[in-house]
Amino acid sequence: MSRESRMRATINQRLTEKGERERLKELLRVKLTECGWKDQMKAHCKEVIKDKGLEHITVEDLVVEITPKGRALVPDSVKKELLQRIRAFLAQHAT
Amino acid sequence: MKMEDMPLSGPDNTKLEALVHDIYSELVEDACLGLCFEVHRAVKQGYFFLDETDQESMKEFEIVDQPGVDIFGQVYNQWKNKECECPNCKRLIAASRFAPHLEKCLGMGRNSSRIANRRLASNNNMSKSESDQEDNDDLNDNDWSYGAEKKAKKRKSDKVFLHFKQLSFIHLSLQIFLFIHFSCGENVDH
Repeated sequence: MSRESRMRATINQRLTEKGERERLKELLRVKLTECGWKDQMKAHCKEVIKDKGLEHITVEDLVVEITPKGRALVPDSVKKELLQRIRAFLAQHAT
Repeated sequence: MKMEDMPLSGPDNTKLEALVHDIYSELVEDACLGLCFEVHRAVKQGYFFLDETDQESMKEFEIVDQPGVDIFGQVYNQWKNKECECPNCKRLIAASRFAPHLEKCLGMGRNSSRIANRRLASNNNMSKSESDQEDNDDLNDNDWSYGAEKKAKKRKSDKVFLHFKQLSFIHLSLQIFLFIHFSCGENVDH
């Protein structure tokens, strides 16, 4: 394993161990609901479902349609805050 | 700017910065997946479109966004400027000032100096002995009953019921008597 992948693995492990990953997930969920991202995405889902048909929609269909748009629609402020938190964690626990 | 705000620089740190972004992407994707599962379940269980019905009902219950009206379309400050006639002094009072006015006018509220008003009234009409019974006004305080405040009734009820002070004196004496009686009784052989 290269040094880099070892470091990544360590960091990821630490993130999970310290509970920070769960906290970050929850933080993101709350922020995205607050800023209306979830409602926007739900509206987009409605379009997709009406397109593909209510009976035949699969999780795959949704994932393929939703994920790219979801990634793009995250507001800058939320993104900045998340990145900040992750950097702070790394600064504390890396090296 | 704080240290955490700046992207990490330097050769080693570009890798760290890339890691930061990877972790972020993972978190976002996780959120999107969560949403997909939630929506998919709602669709299959049949509750996804529950907030939409036929067009007619949607129109009927649409949120109203006009000035002076609440979201149901009802006027909400209709009674603000209406005037009411006071049953006591027969004046026309504004609705928002009506309750405090009644307090003062009927002599019933907390700050209405009811005792002073009564004293004034009774001093004008009656002899001195009547005003001695003003003490129990505070103790027989009954803010919520309108009828009890009528002066004719109040004078009768003063004579019928014992004063609260007299009652508590009797109660206290009885307690002391019983205490002495039973504590002395323990010393007697049975």
